[in-house]
Amino acid sequence: MEIATLAPILLGVLFGTLALGLWVGFALIAVGLVAMILAAPAPAELVFATKVWGGLSVWGLTALPMFIWMGEILVRSRLSSDMFSGLAPFTARLPGRLLHVNVLACGLFAAVSGSSAATTATIGRMSLPELKSRGYDERMAIGSLAGAGTFGFLIPPSIILIVYGAATEQSIARLFLAGVMPGALLAGLFVGWIMIWSLLNADRMPVAEPPTDRREALGAMARLLPVVALIVAVIGSIYLGIASPTEAAVIGVTGAILLAWTTGGLSLHGLADSLRAATLTTCMIAFILAGASFLTVAMGYTGIPRELARMIGEMGLSQYQLLAMLTLFFIIMGMFLDGISIVVLTVSIFLPMVTAAGIDPIWFGVFLVLVVEMSQITPPVGFNLFVIQTITGRDIFAIARYAIPFFLLLVLATAILSVFPQIALWLPSTMMSR
Amino acid sequence: MRRMLDRLYEIALWLAAMTFALIAVLVLAQVLGRLTDRVARFLALPPPGLTIPSLAEFGAFLFTGAVFLGLAGTLQAGSHVRVKLLIRSLPEAPARWLGAAVCLLAAGLAVFATWSSGLQVVDSLKFGSVSYGMIPIPLALPQGLMTAGLALFAIALVDSAVTLARGGQAGFDLAETRTERGN
Repeated sequence: MEIATLAPILLGVLFGTLALGLWVGFALIAVGLVAMILAAPAPAELVFATKVWGGLSVWGLTALPMFIWMGEILVRSRLSSDMFSGLAPFTARLPGRLLHVNVLACGLFAAVSGSSAATTATIGRMSLPELKSRGYDERMAIGSLAGAGTFGFLIPPSIILIVYGAATEQSIARLFLAGVMPGALLAGLFVGWIMIWSLLNADRMPVAEPPTDRREALGAMARLLPVVALIVAVIGSIYLGIASPTEAAVIGVTGAILLAWTTGGLSLHGLADSLRAATLTTCMIAFILAGASFLTVAMGYTGIPRELARMIGEMGLSQYQLLAMLTLFFIIMGMFLDGISIVVLTVSIFLPMVTAAGIDPIWFGVFLVLVVEMSQITPPVGFNLFVIQTITGRDIFAIARYAIPFFLLLVLATAILSVFPQIALWLPSTMMSR
Repeated sequence: MRRMLDRLYEIALWLAAMTFALIAVLVLAQVLGRLTDRVARFLALPPPGLTIPSLAEFGAFLFTGAVFLGLAGTLQAGSHVRVKLLIRSLPEAPARWLGAAVCLLAAGLAVFATWSSGLQVVDSLKFGSVSYGMIPIPLALPQGLMTAGLALFAIALVDSAVTLARGGQAGFDLAETRTERGN
């Protein structure tokens, strides 16, 4: 069948089934199946199982349940309640004061949990009531939480980057390291904006807190040290090449269990609960990945990705123009789809085009994560918005409005990263071995 | 019947969870084994060489098997992702019928997946396919788990379609509402 007729049919199937409320993994399988029936010489029933089996039985993917489990354990520990008192002394003197706790706590928590929704929920439950009771502007408190909550995807360990790495056969360790500096850049932009805003809106800031007792503050900070040590051990062992991502993740799980158990925050029941939650998330992601492995092959048979790459090649766009176009496209997709679906769809359709344009696949992974982060805070479908809605009871459109400055900062970070790709690529290039 | 099915999904989900935990234990043993070797070498003792052969392959098989076993339980817990804008905006009865139709469509796709996966197992058995590693594992074993998990997934979807068509609430709807209320 002609691509000109096939492509609209497949697009129709994709958006039709998604809009009806079919689960994302099934929608991908449906599109793949229609494509195979209309355009492929090979029988779909033989291709499906082989590709799904091949796409999932990959050693690197075992890091997925481990990192998710580590986060689930720490969510149930005392870490989240210690975080506010431990981080507040750091920020008390900056313009914007305790608003920065949102950014710092999300950054710290993102380093133990690979999920953006979990980061937002955990930090939000702790920080929003605290900030409200101290009289901080609620819109800024909610907006900065929504923005900073998206760190979970960029700061390693990142679930999105594991999925991207497995789907594109890129090194997960390198992808993790590529996310570190852009994550720091983003945190810097957020902190900077909070300072500027609070200087411009001094009338909306509450009166300064009384200075805290120095010894008490030090004690609160010290309680965070074990977690910081755990983060350093996990990321450091990957960086030094001592451990593969899966091994580092298991060290992380072990450390998290010990930590939560010794501080008395984790019961056996809580441990079982954390394992169950990690299993649910892993199965959900792996099912989407299974659909994507099938779709990728089916799309290969149709020739659409190759044709797309050729068309874009003939348009003679510069890399910046191409990236600007892709960013716009992803922002629109991100209003309706969740991050993992965006990544797997992209990999099955756009990757040939991107590599043909001479873009580094590791860099593109980080770029994808940034646009996926935007998708977390754009209505009507944005997971961070849903999470904050359940915590605050505000409707998602209001929350999205509060988050607009942070959304724009994400766009700015994407632009900076496009002009200076070394921000992402420098750290992995210094990695020892592997 | 209702209780038996629910128990079946939950048992399969726990098997998946235990498999993930098993992977963690095996990897931990591997890491500790390597650490022991290093310490022994440092002390100029012969390293005991404790390793788990073919862990990478074995772990990948365990992972795949566990994922498919957990699919039905994940559905019941409302954890599979979907876009609910349309279903949300419809009145109760049409939303329920749309939900049932979507479940049936998904069940059809799951039956296709089960069938395809079953064919793969038959092939692996026929050619006696084993993995490449030091310990050859018959591929039909993990692939059989994949088929079983997909079959259970198809059953859970038909189950939900029937429940919705009869005017009841599907397990995932109840769970999704619970999650949205924040507990």
